[in-house]
Amino acid sequence: MPDVRRRLVGWTVLLGSVALAAAVGAPLIGSTRINLARAFDTALPYADNVDAQIFFIARLPRVLAAALVGASLAAAGVVFQALLRNPLATPFTLGVSAGAALGAILAISLKLQLTLWGVSAVTGASLAGSLGAVAIVYALARARHRGFSTNVLLLAGVTLNSFFSALILFVQYIADPAETVQTLRWLMGDLGVAGYGPILAALPLTLAAFVAFAWLPRAMNLLSLGADAAASRGVNVVRTQQVAFFSASLVTGAAVSLGGPIGFIGIIVPHLVRLMVGADHRIVLPAAALLGAAFLIVCDVLARLVMAPVELPVGIITAIIGGPFFLWLLVRQR
Amino acid sequence: MHTRRNRCGIFAATACALAIVLATGRPAITVEAQQVPQRIVSLAPSVTEMLFVMGAGPRVVAVSSFDHFPAEVDLLPRVGALVDPDLEKILSLRPDLVITYGSQNDLAAKLAKANVPTFRYRHGSLGDVTTTLRELGRRLGMASTAESVAAGIEQDLDRIRTRVKSEARPKTLLVIAREPRSLRAINVSGGYGFLHDLLELAGGANVFGDVKRESILVSTETILVRAPDVILELHYTDAPSHTLVDQERAAWSLLSAVPAVKRGRVELLFGEELVLPGPRVVVTAAAFARALHPALMPR
Amino acid sequence: MLRADNVTYVHGAHGRGGIAGDANDVLPGVQRVSLAVERGAVVGLLGPNGSGKTTLLRVLAGMLAPSEGRVTLDGAGIGTLARRALARRIAVVPQETHLAFDYSVREVALMGRYPHLGPFELEGPRDLVIARDALAATGTVDLEHRSFATLSGGEKQRVVIASALAQQADILLLDEPTASLDLGYQLEISTLVARLNRERGLTVVVATHDLNFAAGLCRSLVLLRGGRVLVAGPTAGTLNAAAIRALYDVEASVWFDERAGRVAVVPIEKVRHA
Repeated sequence: MPDVRRRLVGWTVLLGSVALAAAVGAPLIGSTRINLARAFDTALPYADNVDAQIFFIARLPRVLAAALVGASLAAAGVVFQALLRNPLATPFTLGVSAGAALGAILAISLKLQLTLWGVSAVTGASLAGSLGAVAIVYALARARHRGFSTNVLLLAGVTLNSFFSALILFVQYIADPAETVQTLRWLMGDLGVAGYGPILAALPLTLAAFVAFAWLPRAMNLLSLGADAAASRGVNVVRTQQVAFFSASLVTGAAVSLGGPIGFIGIIVPHLVRLMVGADHRIVLPAAALLGAAFLIVCDVLARLVMAPVELPVGIITAIIGGPFFLWLLVRQR
Repeated sequence: MHTRRNRCGIFAATACALAIVLATGRPAITVEAQQVPQRIVSLAPSVTEMLFVMGAGPRVVAVSSFDHFPAEVDLLPRVGALVDPDLEKILSLRPDLVITYGSQNDLAAKLAKANVPTFRYRHGSLGDVTTTLRELGRRLGMASTAESVAAGIEQDLDRIRTRVKSEARPKTLLVIAREPRSLRAINVSGGYGFLHDLLELAGGANVFGDVKRESILVSTETILVRAPDVILELHYTDAPSHTLVDQERAAWSLLSAVPAVKRGRVELLFGEELVLPGPRVVVTAAAFARALHPALMPR
Repeated sequence: MLRADNVTYVHGAHGRGGIAGDANDVLPGVQRVSLAVERGAVVGLLGPNGSGKTTLLRVLAGMLAPSEGRVTLDGAGIGTLARRALARRIAVVPQETHLAFDYSVREVALMGRYPHLGPFELEGPRDLVIARDALAATGTVDLEHRSFATLSGGEKQRVVIASALAQQADILLLDEPTASLDLGYQLEISTLVARLNRERGLTVVVATHDLNFAAGLCRSLVLLRGGRVLVAGPTAGTLNAAAIRALYDVEASVWFDERAGRVAVVPIEKVRHA
């Protein structure tokens, strides 16, 4: 009896429970003790209910944002690694996050004030930047080949990364030093969304990408054999690569616009998951999404607690955990 | 006619001069009193203001890219700022005193090599404003003018302090920066720095005064817990239209359980002087006091 | 049943959407090549590097669309067949298989079932049986739970062939199957393919530059040079000293080896042109 279904259900239930536990537990944890009974007491007027506001405005949106961003970046990591046939690929390899960063930093440095559909200027500019980067990389990858070459894609992405990084440094250099604190903070990642608006704004793109993700796993398995081998088994290789590229890039753009470029999730979580469940993408992809959500929720709790009342950018926590993990992986492989 | 006594006298005088040099700890070049600087380049806007308020404005030959006050600086050439000082341009103006930030070590070293005297400016507490003024005065050979300006500032500040002394001190959140139209990336003043000192002087109690840092990123949770009675938010541009101010203030309505929000005590202050620890701290202090105690200090 | 009629394919021109891989840029093309592969035949595409063997194989497999001419399968143009339907008829064993991730032998074998499954359908017990049969046919069933990456070269190649067999196609195309294998493994593969042809009636087309391997396995040969067919026909008649001279500029000794039961080739020296 082939055990893919059994393993898929088993891992989904296990990691789903972990993610759910994290999502339920995290809003209960914070630098202050809140009275849950009072938070949910509908008799108290909301405008006076500090416990309720801490729970529903300060904490819950953060947890939801962490779940969304964590799931998105982990899943995107899996898809990019399959697309580029390289376990070291990350969601940021192809320049999407550099584009998002450039957009955000321009918005911060130019002190843009407009809001659109409840989305702040920084979030909107960052999303626009990521879309721009995706378009440029794709155009470059298509230009040389009438088809779609992953080698050219990689080259275009890495080049764009360098170029955008240089632009970011330039903008910071000529901008008002007073904004430097804000730009540095954005670059380190921050899930303090304080409100559900930014989450709702990121939702459409994220959901669309995840719908595409549902279709990809088996084709990604075959792509791992090689493009020719996959094609000869009936896979539409070019279409798979295009769907993978766009869905993973767009979900990365949405995630970075929401929480900044939070690193390491897109590479730690896929690796951990493969160590646990094997290489079958039909299990790896959903497992990574669930573990990514749980992981980032936990990192965000740490970010809130470690130096309370000062909050650390969550990107620092993921880096502190990610760096040693990577060294361990390297040592272990000997 | 070098009698033995004369020789001793000369020796004693030299020894004294040497002792003075060593005691004050300054490089010999700055002790020579006849070298009163006439061509001054200032990279720090707050120090530029000090120069002008002392009457040394005509001696300023160049300012930083971020200088806007007083109006005279608009005519002066710009030589960069904290991150990007233009050494070539500075040297081309043949200055005899360059005012640099204390952290610009590289620039100071290069200027020293070019034998250009520097004044290293560091800002910290409110008291450093008048201390710097007095030091500057000595350096410029205008010690008495500087003293009267500094004393004037201290008196004005004292007046404000006395006026609000008997009032209750509202718990205040002093917001230095925040993402526009949202409650993300809220940067507040901790219990250190001239803004904190001004707040305390103006009769407010810094709700994050226990964190001894000049600026800290805080979460909405900690703001809700610390429950400030007044929120003072600083913006470093000119005041925009009323509608925009109201829209910006409305971002706080999300945290309606904060006493300041509930009672409509979210005050937005505008002006580039708010971020400058210079002579205009008196203006800032008055603005703070007005915002904190509106009944006491009408406009 | 698999025919190529006057096919021409030149790299850099149009393709069937282009399979990702920059190897395309260095491969030669084929010019006006015609050949017919009968059911149950074992055909070898022989020629030096740059003769177009791999290109021709990929055109036959439907991976590359020719700019001229057409390839038909039982009379129907293969360009008109859906990808999955084509994969149920033709299976390809590429020269090398590098797995990007750590799949087990069983997972690799099961990947051959892709053309038989619906978009979200998971493999059922029947698929597992077929995959196991395929592994058994190539003598690799006891490697089922091993990691593919830990196998030897010969074992890997046999597993890849098993994966192709799991497609239950009736035509098997192999691209340089012995290129990176030593003598022992070469013999293994040769014996295996011959047995599959004999026992299952599998039609086989092999692209290779190894003359002895082709002579041992293939009943008919197509000799290619510079993208064109030099000569084609039954092995015994086609593979002779003259053909080798024309193909490789090499003077060779060609004879029928009684003990091996096949034509054997030993190169002597490079032909000197006057």
